[in-house]
Amino acid sequence: MKTRFVKFKEWLLLPGGFGIFTGMLMLGTMILLGIIIPNFGPYKPDEFIGDPFLPPSWQHPFGLDQLGRDVMTRTFSSVGIDLGVAFLGVSIPLAIGTVIGILLGLAKNKYVISLVGSLIDGINAFPLLIIAVAMLTFLGSGLRSVVVILAITNWARYARISRTRAVVVSKQNYIEAAKTLGFSKRRIVMKHIAPNVSSETVAYALSDFILVIVVVSGLSFLGLAAKPPMAEWGSMIADGRAYLAQSWWLVIFPGLALCWSAVSLSFVVEGISRRDRGV
Amino acid sequence: MLKNQIARTILGRLGRALSVGFWVMVISFAIMRIIPGDPASARLGGVEAEAIAQLRKQLNLDGSIFQQFSRYVTDLLHGNLGISLQTGRTVIDIIGSTLPLTIYLILFSTFFAVILSIPIGTSIAWSGKAPIVYTFRGITAVILATPNFFIAMVGILIFTVRVNWSPVFGYEPEFPQNLKYLWLPVVVNTLIMTSVVSRVIFSSVIETKEEEFVETGIIRGVGRRRFFWFYILKPSMAPTVVLLSYMMGTMLGATVILETIFTLPGIGREMVNAVLTSDYPVVQGILLIFGVITVFLSFVGDVIAYLLDRRVKI
Repeated sequence: MKTRFVKFKEWLLLPGGFGIFTGMLMLGTMILLGIIIPNFGPYKPDEFIGDPFLPPSWQHPFGLDQLGRDVMTRTFSSVGIDLGVAFLGVSIPLAIGTVIGILLGLAKNKYVISLVGSLIDGINAFPLLIIAVAMLTFLGSGLRSVVVILAITNWARYARISRTRAVVVSKQNYIEAAKTLGFSKRRIVMKHIAPNVSSETVAYALSDFILVIVVVSGLSFLGLAAKPPMAEWGSMIADGRAYLAQSWWLVIFPGLALCWSAVSLSFVVEGISRRDRGV
Repeated sequence: MLKNQIARTILGRLGRALSVGFWVMVISFAIMRIIPGDPASARLGGVEAEAIAQLRKQLNLDGSIFQQFSRYVTDLLHGNLGISLQTGRTVIDIIGSTLPLTIYLILFSTFFAVILSIPIGTSIAWSGKAPIVYTFRGITAVILATPNFFIAMVGILIFTVRVNWSPVFGYEPEFPQNLKYLWLPVVVNTLIMTSVVSRVIFSSVIETKEEEFVETGIIRGVGRRRFFWFYILKPSMAPTVVLLSYMMGTMLGATVILETIFTLPGIGREMVNAVLTSDYPVVQGILLIFGVITVFLSFVGDVIAYLLDRRVKI
């Protein structure tokens, strides 16, 4: 038991260890509360339980909202929605983008390379929020559309990273060696190129996660993603905006939860990048 | 010989900007068409076929896709981006009347961010004291991970609700009065931008500090001012400029939310209104403008960075 503790302590003292640990702890707390409070707490997220605009008290630590719903229950029942949508909005583009990038990095056909390459540049030219807002006009608003839109647009960022990396990796000596040993092309791509490329795109995915959480909640804030009765941080903040002068708790608590999640991820990202650089 | 090479590099970058610009045009053309279903009938609902056909014509949705595209490009070259379905104004006119405010907002924020970031980034990097560096890293990490609408809300809570320094709603376009409405959005933007830019200057100065020419400069006894500008700051300028051009593009995207919160009549709020009322030509036109501006910004940023430091690959 003691040796394990000593090992953990050594790990913690390596560069970035403290950041990774704090970030994971913060994120874990948020996810845990997001599971416990909506499921085992005394209230339901869309249950009317008392007077509207009841200020924070011991019984309702985050107060009640304009319809007399418990803000704390609503804040924590958003964890699953916000982080879940963001997770889909990161993992789907990660998979699509990595594959397309590898294929593009290994492609020989000049026309395909320049066509897909400039399509990637074209998509990346738009700020993510703008292209998402524009596509929502035609797809219709809703959380499902947001996931679809992120899948259609966000892959291009991953494809750009993965392509550059695939070009570099495919020129390495160990790929040459594998070719000389007569391994099949499929095996070289799957066992030698893909793992080296995906380590890079997965690292980017972590920092992209923060961006996507902010974009999803931002779209909900504009009234384009999550719809009113649903508890979601962005839409809760948008709802509370009209009552900001009298009831600050409608805005501040969902906002703090949103910050907490994003900040915890950014600690992890920064910790990992410091560990890689060894400073 | 050297001049030639500079010109060639810049021309090459211009070529890339133009090809990306072409794709930006294709994407804003395609966005109305790749989605299943017909936007014209979706907007009108179940009315008679004649009205739908007319709207299709107005939206440039009739004929083959190639005819549509060639018409789109011809219209574009004539400065015609279509007519708003909601107000009947031309899209060019709408963009012309809303874009300047947004651009001022971004330029002011960038200006203040640069002014604040240079002293903050360099002095913290130069002092190198661990507690200061950790505090700096922590604070900027929190600001960067916080969505701009939450920062704006906290700002409103403090400056509008607690002390009445900034009105909540409305806008007056005349010069001295408009500052009353603009200062808080500019502060929010500046805060976010300063966190990014000062971080880049910070890490760039940390790297420069270790270089040999800095030590040489100290030994040679270079004057203080010259030492600061040429030895410490100049090597950091190229990455900072590239970052600024990227951040200005991101800020442009963020105005969609910021202008909605502060009810400023800029292009971002115009876009949100157009989305909420399904005003397709306006959405399409504003999307194109956003794309073109971003491409232009990154081109200018890259060229300036290259001129500042020839080692930069663009």
